[in-house]
Amino acid sequence: MGKKVLIIVPAYNEELNIEKTIKDLTSKTDYDYLIINDCSKDNTKEVCEKNGFNILSLPINYGLTSGIQVGMKYSYENGYDIVIQFDGDGQHEAKYLKDLVKEIENDNCNIAIGSRFVTKKKPKSMRMLGSRLLTVAIKITTGKTIKDPTSGMRAFDKKAIEEFVKNNSLTPEPDTLVYMLKKKMKIKEVQVEMKEREFGESYLNPIKSAQYMINMFFSILFIRAITRKNK
Amino acid sequence: MTLTLRIVLIICSIISFLLCVTKIKQAKLKVENSVTWMIGSIVLIVMSIFSNVVEWISYKLGFMAPVNFVFLIIIGFLLIQTFIDNIRISTLNEKIKDLNHYIALKEKNVK
Repeated sequence: MGKKVLIIVPAYNEELNIEKTIKDLTSKTDYDYLIINDCSKDNTKEVCEKNGFNILSLPINYGLTSGIQVGMKYSYENGYDIVIQFDGDGQHEAKYLKDLVKEIENDNCNIAIGSRFVTKKKPKSMRMLGSRLLTVAIKITTGKTIKDPTSGMRAFDKKAIEEFVKNNSLTPEPDTLVYMLKKKMKIKEVQVEMKEREFGESYLNPIKSAQYMINMFFSILFIRAITRKNK
Repeated sequence: MTLTLRIVLIICSIISFLLCVTKIKQAKLKVENSVTWMIGSIVLIVMSIFSNVVEWISYKLGFMAPVNFVFLIIIGFLLIQTFIDNIRISTLNEKIKDLNHYIALKEKNVK
């Protein structure tokens, strides 16, 4: 079928990881990619330009959500059929992307998630407790089970991209999955492995994690749960 | 309401009203954003002048003291004002985000 695929790589202060991530992407796949530089304070931009990477630089730092949204706008304007969200910090591996694309190309689903826990068990850690709670919240509101709702590796088809472009409030987070499910889209999970990040700091600390969970719960239970479906 | 409270309310309201007017003249405040403040100060002045009406209403509503009723109105007014401001900030935020995206995409196309 030959669908046009774009990989969006949001990057903020990832000068140490970005080169490896993109090399991994270009050696394992032949899809287009776009680095979204969210106004990094370090040399992310310079590193990308030195290597001739395809980069889009935002003039103001506005967070991950904004980065994904601008990527969606870009892919919509340039007529891409599938968009994959791929972390620039080296946690994701490019070799699994083909499986995600295959699921969408075979019309199995609208959104394919690179999930850590399809065949494997969730470890019993604090972080995974949050993941479990989100799975329960999604189950309650939509009746569907998503085993790895916080996974940052997701592929969206044209229908989902259009939703992103139309609706400015959508985030690259679990609550959007609820929204998409309510819009009668199909979500499928594909087993992948993820690595720990090598360099740089993760943005998650206990306070931010708690904040994130509260935001997600409010959004899922009170906002996204009452989404009208398309006719 | 005691006479002192009424006088204080009237003086404060007049000051805030005049402050609004001067800020509008200096173009530091937009008319549509300041109307709520000006209405608020006018309401306070009216309430201080016709304090027996306020006392009657607060008695009918079951307040322990008329001054509590006055405070409730002020708090309610402030809550509405902060909520309006909150919406404005969110709207501005969205607009800046759109501009941010627009500039980035434009620059990308130029290259």
